Amino acid sequence: MQITLKDIARMADVAESTVSRALNDKPGVGRETKLKILKIAKENNYRPNQLARGLAAKKTNMIAVILAEMDSPGNIEIVKSIEKAADEKGYQIILCNTNNQEDKEESYLSLLESNQVDGAIFIGGKLVGSHLLRASFSQDNRIVLVNRLAEENFFTSVLTDYSQGIYQAVEHLVEENFKKIALVCGSRDDLIEEEKISGYKNALRDSGLDLNQELIFSTANDRQAGYNVFLEIIEGDVIPDAFISTRELTTIGLVEAIKMGGYFIPDDFAVVGYGDNILTSVIDPPLTVLSEPVEELGKSSLEFLLKLINDNLDSQQIKVLTPELIIRESSISKYN
Amino acid sequence: MASVTLEHIYKHFGDFTAVKDQNLEIRDKEFVVLVGPSGCGKSTTLRMIAGLEEISEGTLKIGDQVVNDVAPKDRDIAMVFQNYALYPHMNVYDNMAFGLKLRKFPKDEIDRRVQDAADILGIEQLLDRKPKQLSGGQRQRVALGRAIVREPKVFLMDEPLSNLDAKLRVQMRTELSKLHDRLKTTMIYVTHDQTEAMTMGDRIVVLKDGVVQQVDDPLSLYNKPNNMFVAGFIGSPAMNFMDAVIEKEGDTYYLEGDGAFKIRVPEDKEDHIKDYVGKEVVFGVRPEDIVDTKITHDFEVKEDNSFEADVDVVEPMGSEIYLYLAEEGHSLIARVEAESTAQVGDTISLGIDLRKIHVFDAETEECIF
Repeated sequence: MQITLKDIARMADVAESTVSRALNDKPGVGRETKLKILKIAKENNYRPNQLARGLAAKKTNMIAVILAEMDSPGNIEIVKSIEKAADEKGYQIILCNTNNQEDKEESYLSLLESNQVDGAIFIGGKLVGSHLLRASFSQDNRIVLVNRLAEENFFTSVLTDYSQGIYQAVEHLVEENFKKIALVCGSRDDLIEEEKISGYKNALRDSGLDLNQELIFSTANDRQAGYNVFLEIIEGDVIPDAFISTRELTTIGLVEAIKMGGYFIPDDFAVVGYGDNILTSVIDPPLTVLSEPVEELGKSSLEFLLKLINDNLDSQQIKVLTPELIIRESSISKYN
Repeated sequence: MASVTLEHIYKHFGDFTAVKDQNLEIRDKEFVVLVGPSGCGKSTTLRMIAGLEEISEGTLKIGDQVVNDVAPKDRDIAMVFQNYALYPHMNVYDNMAFGLKLRKFPKDEIDRRVQDAADILGIEQLLDRKPKQLSGGQRQRVALGRAIVREPKVFLMDEPLSNLDAKLRVQMRTELSKLHDRLKTTMIYVTHDQTEAMTMGDRIVVLKDGVVQQVDDPLSLYNKPNNMFVAGFIGSPAMNFMDAVIEKEGDTYYLEGDGAFKIRVPEDKEDHIKDYVGKEVVFGVRPEDIVDTKITHDFEVKEDNSFEADVDVVEPMGSEIYLYLAEEGHSLIARVEAESTAQVGDTISLGIDLRKIHVFDAETEECIF
């Protein structure tokens, strides 16, 4: 049973308001009384009721973290980083998953509209739609977007520069003497995937390599799609010597298919994957990956949101972070 | 291209009504400015047109189509707001092409539109640059470019220049007016700055507390304000207001200011104030319609259109001088020629151009003439 202010007041034989002043470090309580109250609170593991505290301050100290896709390991890492930073600042998070469905997103937005949360962070997802635009005005813009774009851009955002990331990956493979670099990416309707493609094209151009459209493969974002695309590729006319896979789950499927087919990485095909997690470093051979700055994405988005909530952000901010290329065995040419 | 029509539009936020019974017909290709102090409902009105705020009551049409329930992206409008954030990792070209890529425009069409817009805005040489390599004015042009490439029916702009420094703001004002001439598209522009409104709008909508006070072209607004609010809001320095009583002596009507002044009501205006004899009114005169009698003017200064006042402050502006005057408890400003020799502490004689005076009903604050 959770101990309340009332209980402490009874135990210390003082008024409830005295307990409140003592716990909130406000003046008007004698030193001894204060020590006595703090001791009772500590011994009984007293925790303030955040909801009641929120009602008094018109704040809930809760924020919603709204994910477009729950099964992306990178997204989960971002959430962990947000949760850690939030905890340090006395905030709790409510985790929501929209599965990229607009109606679900709208219903989660109602948490913000009904002031059940102080703000919301949206991670990933399609281009911002009307309801989110509207909410940005009616809710004093207590919204931060992570890796999500908006056409009418009024949103404070933290973004990954995917284009730059893929550029680095191509550059690295070219340095390793790979010439036919395939890109396994998502739908071209997705602007973020489009950015990755543009990074790929720019890097080829700057490296003096010709662009072959047949080496760009758009697939769904799951393990099976990564597996299938390899089977499709080896049946094709142009066989690449290296792969860049732009998403985590497809990377896993792709590596699986290459190995199941009896091919060797990097001898037959070099691979640069996406997302640095436990799997990518223990897999054989260890994978070269573009590591998304998940920790920083989470931390920065929370910092921005708290500034928005506390009216400390003068103007809209967009922070762009570049993924880091972690070079491991899977992309090192044996013939260099 | 399209007209925008607001019919009995209201916006309620709980018990608070931000916009009250707005009726407005914005013609095709017109440049209309919504102006008023903060909290007057101008931005709320713009956001309702944009589809970013729900309309509580009334009908909104773009062209002939009622758009109350149409999503912002389907309204064929483009918005330029104060916070004109560009994506820092995309170059100017990509920032401008962003909306078109989304709409799956063919590459050559995107190219044509971006080049055209860049040409209009004079930023052709910046297309490869990233936003951080641009000045504030250039960034603002790119933000405009993002809107222009969409070739929308209507442009909506909410204080788009307020983040720029004063000099650049003046320059961009002219450029926006030129842009409107060139694009020939309906533009609705929100500002709190009356100078911006006066210099840019074909017509100006003056708002206060969510209510339209007057819709008129800049000169009419200046010369024939509907009420004291519009009279005081438009013009800088603001119009002087003084309490007065209408008196009749023989066939002549006077504005009597508690012994401080006695100004004759022009003959052609007498009909308007006949019913006000003995009643309190507010006498309004713009600073530029008060003259230093030592300097000749195109009207005659006589006893019934002049008064004496003490000079409190002299503010030389170069081409003219602002005199801050005190006269029997009234304080007022006169904007006189640079040749005036008035000094602080002087008591000087001032003339009023009777053709330009205004009188308001003290109770309703409506204009009598």
